[in-house]
Amino acid sequence: MTPLARKQRPLSEDFPRLIDGGNALDVRELERLRARARRFAEEHVSPRAMEIDRRTDEDPSWFDWDLVRAGAEHGMLSFLIPKPAGGGGGLSTEAAVVMEELCAACPGIALIFGAHALGISPLLLGGPSQWDGVLSELVCSERTTRPLLMACAITEPEAGTDVEDPDLLARARITSHARRVPGGFRLSGAKRFISNGSVARWITLLMPTDPRDPAHTWTCFLVDASSEGFSVNRVEHKMGQRAAHAAELALDEVFVPDERVVSREGDGAAATMIVLACSRPPVGAIATGIARGAYERLLVWLEEDRAAKGLLERQHVQLVLASMEEEIHLARQAYMDAATELDYRALGGAMRHPAVRALGHVPAGIRKRRSVRGLLASDRMRDTTISILHRTTSESAVTRSVALSSMAKARGGDVAMRVTGAALEIVGLRGVRIRAELEKLWRDAKLCQIYEGTNQLNRLEVYRGLCRRETIACLPPLLAHRSAVPPPDAGVGGSREKILAGENGGPR
Amino acid sequence: MSTQTTTSGERAALLAMARDLARHELLARSVDLDRGDREAIAECWRSLVGVGLDRALLGERHGGVELSVRDLLAALEELAVGDGGIAMCVLLCNTALATLTDEQLSEIPWGARWALVPATSGTEVTVSDGALDGRIECALGALGAHGLVVILDGPEPAAFAIDAGAAGSRLERDVTQMGLRAAPAALIELADIDCPCPAGRAPALDGSDCSNGMMSAANARALLRAGTAAIANGIARRAHEMALEYAHARQQGGVAIIEHDAVSDMLSAMAVRLACRPEVGAGRFGSDMTADPLGLAIDQKYALAVKIAATDAAVATTTDAVQVFGGTGYMVETGVEKLMRDAKYCQLFPEPNWVAHDELMRSERAGLRSGEPEQ
Repeated sequence: MTPLARKQRPLSEDFPRLIDGGNALDVRELERLRARARRFAEEHVSPRAMEIDRRTDEDPSWFDWDLVRAGAEHGMLSFLIPKPAGGGGGLSTEAAVVMEELCAACPGIALIFGAHALGISPLLLGGPSQWDGVLSELVCSERTTRPLLMACAITEPEAGTDVEDPDLLARARITSHARRVPGGFRLSGAKRFISNGSVARWITLLMPTDPRDPAHTWTCFLVDASSEGFSVNRVEHKMGQRAAHAAELALDEVFVPDERVVSREGDGAAATMIVLACSRPPVGAIATGIARGAYERLLVWLEEDRAAKGLLERQHVQLVLASMEEEIHLARQAYMDAATELDYRALGGAMRHPAVRALGHVPAGIRKRRSVRGLLASDRMRDTTISILHRTTSESAVTRSVALSSMAKARGGDVAMRVTGAALEIVGLRGVRIRAELEKLWRDAKLCQIYEGTNQLNRLEVYRGLCRRETIACLPPLLAHRSAVPPPDAGVGGSREKILAGENGGPR
Repeated sequence: MSTQTTTSGERAALLAMARDLARHELLARSVDLDRGDREAIAECWRSLVGVGLDRALLGERHGGVELSVRDLLAALEELAVGDGGIAMCVLLCNTALATLTDEQLSEIPWGARWALVPATSGTEVTVSDGALDGRIECALGALGAHGLVVILDGPEPAAFAIDAGAAGSRLERDVTQMGLRAAPAALIELADIDCPCPAGRAPALDGSDCSNGMMSAANARALLRAGTAAIANGIARRAHEMALEYAHARQQGGVAIIEHDAVSDMLSAMAVRLACRPEVGAGRFGSDMTADPLGLAIDQKYALAVKIAATDAAVATTTDAVQVFGGTGYMVETGVEKLMRDAKYCQLFPEPNWVAHDELMRSERAGLRSGEPEQ
């Protein structure tokens, strides 16, 4: 694809909150990460984007591992992994900045790394207990010729949008089931549209331990894709973002030991909300990157191509370009606002908690000793992690963060569709290369309105969190409170019930 | 070309045949057609030839079925419910053949598929001493056609017929074609093609132009726009049907998704767009039968307007349809994302809608200058 030649403004100028909420060191690290992502995009992603799109159209199961290896060399697989585990220690802001850079080059290739980051996200909530297991294995693999990928599996064949919402989850048609057995669980069922599902070695997978009560027994498991009983039913043929596989996974009595239950049994619905709050700003960034990619390509074509001679003089074209610049700018502000709200306000306290930082200074060699590992993986340590979460943030802060993330995601998706569509219309059917590139971005853009919850669902989250100022029960309950009846205002379950019953103008 | 027009009974029978073909043949082959599979396209073409839709506007002596433009447009909409690309082949072939002289038509074998290729005069194609030179990208339906009629825009539109394989012409498949793939696009290179006899007349159709049975280049372009609008309407109808059916069947949160306002709002918007769509098959085409017994005098401005309105609506409707399907709609096997791609190509053909807006305003300005604002 066309090299991305435009010079970028420093992040600190575009986003003053990065200075207010973080510190200059964070911003410098973020700038370095962005430069690294940009270099990877220019050297490896752009040159291969169209060819990979063509090959995966012919054979959806084709996958470019060379590209994953190149991404690993640029640190694209570990920037989200905590520093004590050897990673870059990034959060939503870092993921968003990387995604915009990669998506301006190719959203499909970016999704490989985005889905990997999504797979890692639930493990971050597990706190120090997760540092020395799979996370450090991922970091080690990044330095080898066989890097490991991750995926996150939530969607089921009969339940899509509703598994991403704690209230709809209660009525969703869940067909999967994690059955308690000595030493762990046996997982059975199917998961659908799982990005990286067919190529990931480790999958964070959500499933109920009681299918009659999915909302309260939704649990996150870390599944080894080489386990007996795990298989890939098929890889989907998608309209766009084809470089990253979307797979249907089948689980037939797959055994997962207790220590690979992420967080605690029944905390999955809350974990899903926090994970989505983390992952939706990057999806807004994916969409912004797609729009930027189309805009930059259009500008280059208008300035340099003979077929576009005179078009830049037309007011119509100037107005369209101005509108694109405006939309991209606002979409970027929206995702950065959401990401920094989450990282610096909603979850920042937990991530920078003294206890967590102190554990980070303990050498990995000591943490990996059996006795220390046992302690870190114990129920007591998991409860402590959740307790830290409760002390450093609140459900209302996370609810606001979820709403801002949803706003960034929905806005970004719409902007990506509008900008790519408008760019394509300026070019028309002329110019084989530019048209093919814009058509690809337009096809890629559509997915941004669908995944991570449809734009409609995300806007309902905005309504709940910002318009109605509700508080969603989105933190895992403290152990002592588990059997307690939730307070009336603790969740939106009641209000969602009303919505489903036809009140509040919601679903009838 | 005949001076007869179809009766209402014949029109209904024809539309029924087109509908039947769309539902039973085109939809059944939609995956192959979307791949641009030659065999599938050829088989569908044979069926269309069987009912006379390949030369629908021509008179009996040229093997035609003597349809009016209005009837052809109605048939195109029905065909597009099955496959927009095949409907585009029908439009391109009929428009191309309508620009040819009797002599040229008499040499075209039965069942041959021709394609009309709109091109920009001066930048894409130049004419010098009766010879054509240039390069046309993404010429829909040109690949595999037996002959091409290149129509040039500009102040004096003209049309030129070229046999496939003529010396100096080179056609290469456009492998990047995203939509309407059953009308396979080609990159055409023309080098000193000798075209001593233009196929169509310039600048516009009037009574005398009709006398030898030819359609002017300007009217051919207008027919292309009106036909594209009809195809967009058909694509939008199919998208709405599919979305409605899915919304009834699919459940979220314990109820059918049609019960959620988030979904029903989109379905309602689709229904409104469909209800208000420009009925190109019953519109201002050949409405004055005394002045234009063939029904070929196309209101140029109206053709531009319906093309813009219908294709914008089709893009909005098909995009919403994919959204109703959610992740399922993004998968190729569902067949709904294809409608979105096809609709987008309608928006870009024969020119992008912003260029069509431009042309519309040119004629508005011209009307004001002449002191006769058009109705």
